[in-house]
Amino acid sequence: MSIPGLGQITPQAAAATTIRTIALQPLWEWRFEVPRRSAGITVRLVTGSAERDGTPLAVNRTYTFVRTKSKLLTWHGCTLEVNGDCDAYVAEYAAPEDSPMVSYLNLHFALKERRDHVRAMSGAAQNRALLGPRVMVCGPKNSGKTSLARTLVAYATRMGAQPLVASVDPGEGLLSLPGTMSAAVFGTVMDVEDPAGGFGVRGTPSTGPSTVPVKLPIVYYFGREKVEDDGPFWRELVSKLAGSARVKMDEVDDVRCTGLVLDTPAVAANQSGIDILVHAAREFAVNVVVVLGSAGMNAELQRRLAHEKTRFGEPITVLLLDKSEGVAERDKAWMRGVGEEAIKEYFFGDPKRTLSPFTHSVTYEELTVLKVPDESEYFEGQQVLIPAEISPEMSNWTLAVMDASVNDPPEIIRQAAILGFIAIADVDEERRRVKFLSPVSGRLGNRPLVWGRWPEPYINLVG
Amino acid sequence: MADNAADVADDYRQALEDLTANSRIEIATLTNIARENASHGLAITEVLQNHIKKVPPARTLPALYVLDSVVKNVPTPYALYFGPKLYSIFMGAYTKVDYVTRRKMDEMLKTWKEPVPGSISTKPVFPPEYVRPIENALIAARDVAYAAQKSSFQGQQQLLRGNRPPVPTRDTPTPPTARPAPYQAGPHVQQPFPGPPGGPIQQPQQQQQQQYGDMAHQPYPMRPHNGPNMIPSRATAQPLPLAGPSHYQQPAPREAYGTPQPGISIDKLRDDIQQLIVAEKAEFARDPHDTSKQTRLLALLDLQTLIQSPDVPREQLMLVKERVSELAVNMRAHNSAAPPLLPHPAFTPTPPVVPQQPPPVHPVAVASRPPPAPVNAAGLSIDTLFGQGALATLLGGIGKPPTPQAPTPQLLPVAVPPVRATPPLPPVPRPVEPAKPPPASNLSTNPSALLAMLRQSGLLAAGAPAAAPAPLAPNSANFAPPVMAAPQPSADQGFYLHLKPAALKQFRPDLVARIHDDLGPPCTQCGRRFRTDEEGRRKKTTHMDWHFRVHQRIVEAEKRGQHRSWYLSDELVRYLSFFPLLAPRSSRANRMPGLGQVPRGNRRGLRRARVGIAEPRRRRRQRWRQRRQRRWQRRRTVGEAGKPAVHTRARGPVARQQHVPHLPGALRDEVAGRGAGVGMDGRRQGRREGVPRHVP
Repeated sequence: MSIPGLGQITPQAAAATTIRTIALQPLWEWRFEVPRRSAGITVRLVTGSAERDGTPLAVNRTYTFVRTKSKLLTWHGCTLEVNGDCDAYVAEYAAPEDSPMVSYLNLHFALKERRDHVRAMSGAAQNRALLGPRVMVCGPKNSGKTSLARTLVAYATRMGAQPLVASVDPGEGLLSLPGTMSAAVFGTVMDVEDPAGGFGVRGTPSTGPSTVPVKLPIVYYFGREKVEDDGPFWRELVSKLAGSARVKMDEVDDVRCTGLVLDTPAVAANQSGIDILVHAAREFAVNVVVVLGSAGMNAELQRRLAHEKTRFGEPITVLLLDKSEGVAERDKAWMRGVGEEAIKEYFFGDPKRTLSPFTHSVTYEELTVLKVPDESEYFEGQQVLIPAEISPEMSNWTLAVMDASVNDPPEIIRQAAILGFIAIADVDEERRRVKFLSPVSGRLGNRPLVWGRWPEPYINLVG
Repeated sequence: MADNAADVADDYRQALEDLTANSRIEIATLTNIARENASHGLAITEVLQNHIKKVPPARTLPALYVLDSVVKNVPTPYALYFGPKLYSIFMGAYTKVDYVTRRKMDEMLKTWKEPVPGSISTKPVFPPEYVRPIENALIAARDVAYAAQKSSFQGQQQLLRGNRPPVPTRDTPTPPTARPAPYQAGPHVQQPFPGPPGGPIQQPQQQQQQQYGDMAHQPYPMRPHNGPNMIPSRATAQPLPLAGPSHYQQPAPREAYGTPQPGISIDKLRDDIQQLIVAEKAEFARDPHDTSKQTRLLALLDLQTLIQSPDVPREQLMLVKERVSELAVNMRAHNSAAPPLLPHPAFTPTPPVVPQQPPPVHPVAVASRPPPAPVNAAGLSIDTLFGQGALATLLGGIGKPPTPQAPTPQLLPVAVPPVRATPPLPPVPRPVEPAKPPPASNLSTNPSALLAMLRQSGLLAAGAPAAAPAPLAPNSANFAPPVMAAPQPSADQGFYLHLKPAALKQFRPDLVARIHDDLGPPCTQCGRRFRTDEEGRRKKTTHMDWHFRVHQRIVEAEKRGQHRSWYLSDELVRYLSFFPLLAPRSSRANRMPGLGQVPRGNRRGLRRARVGIAEPRRRRRQRWRQRRQRRWQRRRTVGEAGKPAVHTRARGPVARQQHVPHLPGALRDEVAGRGAGVGMDGRRQGRREGVPRHVP
């Protein structure tokens, strides 16, 4: 006798025996890496205090981490109870000064001081335009830029401030899929369990409630992995994003006084790399530049920026801080996996919140897909976006839904914010129909879709 | 009142849908309702069967426990109704749940072959002809699984045969000592001692009772039938421990239904307290004449009672739990090396045992119930038990670095709504004043042994009660106000912390405190901290409300499916993300459809079952009214100021139109549409959650 579904579940007894307790002394870190394919680990803070990138863990709550490389830091010492397999070790510091986290914390308070200062000054009418500190975090690859940005944001949020966070790194989306650049106000606690530590697509709104308050990003679609792939367009989008950020800051006093945290792409310390950073710094009127672990980049930025003033006449401080030696290597395969999971999560949700996307089947004519012309087709004066022919190649790509009308000129469409993504599931050439996955029901109307070059499709979401 | 079966069924279905956690009280209530509507038993059976079939796997087990409870407590007619359907219900559920739940179901199945514990009847819960097919199916399935994967065989086989290790009974015999009279005289409704009501463990305890005649009046050994809350205890008796020793040492079958709130592991807490009691009892046994030990034990027992009461507000529970478990863990660690019967300091921060009225219970007709044992712990407080100084010493020396913990209790009064008619539990006084040296008198009497032992085990710095290191104390003086007084546009000038690598590398412990304890005690759900002043308390209340609402809405959302929303467009972000969208979701939390049909006597119970116990209704409604009023006011002011008052979340199309009057046409539609969850093309795409509300 066989009953479908019976006996298919392997007993979890083996996993249950791997519970271990980890005791950390003040300022120690528990660094862990949960592989992509693993079922994840659960961590419970038994006593003391611990935080992941600045966001505190609640005592006795069980947190599940999947495909994450991260660390848990304790300022007071703590006991953790960990269940599940992962690569992990404890980073011990003999003296508090050895930990880079100390300087990160001090940095936060230095910024806070300046925020309070701006707030105190804002009483006078002529000071209404004063902005809180705008911090840019930059550094080479794998130096912990995003983690530092996240930590600064988390600390600010913890103390009741509402920082504006912007990411101009298209390689990793902020509250979005890879290939985008976005900004959002963080006024609430971040999701500790998110593989991206609260910067992931998990933090965006869905139609259902969320145990961690969602953030509302404004997202622009770049459609490439590296800045160098389309430098001019990247610059345009940075300017656009900075404009949106500025508008947000002007709108609300809390955000204005708190200022901005800007995450940047990893660049080399050469001319073109520094140019990228300088452009971002100028557009966002950054007045504090934090360089992580690269003396060369620091020197170069000092040279370029130290004598400049922001557009508000403030001097620019360039600051070299140590990178944490615990920063995890994230190779190409890992990043690709992260992107893939982000796409899945965007449509189908996470283990805690299952989402049901809608499958639509439309004729070719109902979709307006635009793409950047190939190099071979490109010549001076040509339009920046050309209509793309729908073809089976398009299967499994995610296309951006632009917040524009199909009748808008391509320049406008290209720079428009995006509403979200759809995933092409299947293209039926014979019947000229496209099947795609959309997060929301209802037709797309006259929204143009943009087909980028990256991330390339690795997975079939539907099949 | 319940006139027709359809109404009853409908109400019951709704009540079932709100059953999300394995909560004893909710299951008891559902059982009661089933009992009182036994005339519509068939309808209820249908409903329950369908519910078990449809419910998501995570919530299957509570639903099955309802079945179990109903059948065991109201065998007629429910056992008859469920019997023929048992196979399909059970196997249907079995196929969809995970391994852990399956084991629980196995336990439950076992109990169905035995008579209901505590009943006179010797007939099994279900006749064998209904249970046996299930067993056969399971065996067959396991054989298949065995063939498929030998590795998994062991565990299941063991399960099947039930050859588990013997129960390590942790209940050490209680010493034959009379308790103080006042203690026996109070109403003790809930058994503070979560022992098993039936099963193998019961016997020794009963013997023990007889053996120690004096103990007969103690509340806790009166295992089987001393509480009116009989339903759960009976019904859960058998899904007994299986899941390892941790369940055994706390042989609380009631555990299964005993978690009224998700997120708070009452079982664990009870477990911890139980262990303290065991340790304390042994200590007491050594020196029965020591009144202080006696009182301590009493207090612990009372605490246990308190914990079991389903009406303890979440904040209190969490607080108690936080401290107990934290210290208990410490103690356990030390226990291995230290004397086994270390009196547990974990008790110290728990609420003082106050003259408590018994938590309300739903009376269930259960025969042969001994009169409730009285409790009167008036006048007991932590200080009288331990002496304030000693306590401070303990807390100062144990666990995390002695950060200033004093302000914690102030939070409680806000978030702790009165428990029905009973007086609200007083805020927990946590006399944590590490600087205060322990009075010598206290040390010289009983607690001296305790302190000595603590010192020995390294929990306490010898002779140094004030262990708080000075640097951790918040020192806001460092952030000198003069800084603010000298506004300078230059980068570092006038600021205390210079943006220089060297300056930033210096460790400043006071800053650590500023992102921790200076911000107040953390929320137990998400770790966010709230100050203990008026403002902070208000925020925390709002925050806890939010957690509460989200939990409720998640349940709702599960039923209807959710999907990702579009990102907001450029202009909209400006309007929507910044206004404090504080308006509550109207009375959603209050509204309980279908209550009208429930018999009067059960309304309260049903309501509790539906709403959970996080917040008594009266308080909530009051708050809601206040907010509604505020919202009205805000709507007026904002409207007059000429700003689009999107954030007021107006209801109904007319209101929506009025509130976005100054936007260009397309945008207005979008604002209104988004606010109401209308998609791009104007069709409804979901509920209002499309636009997240401001979260406190």
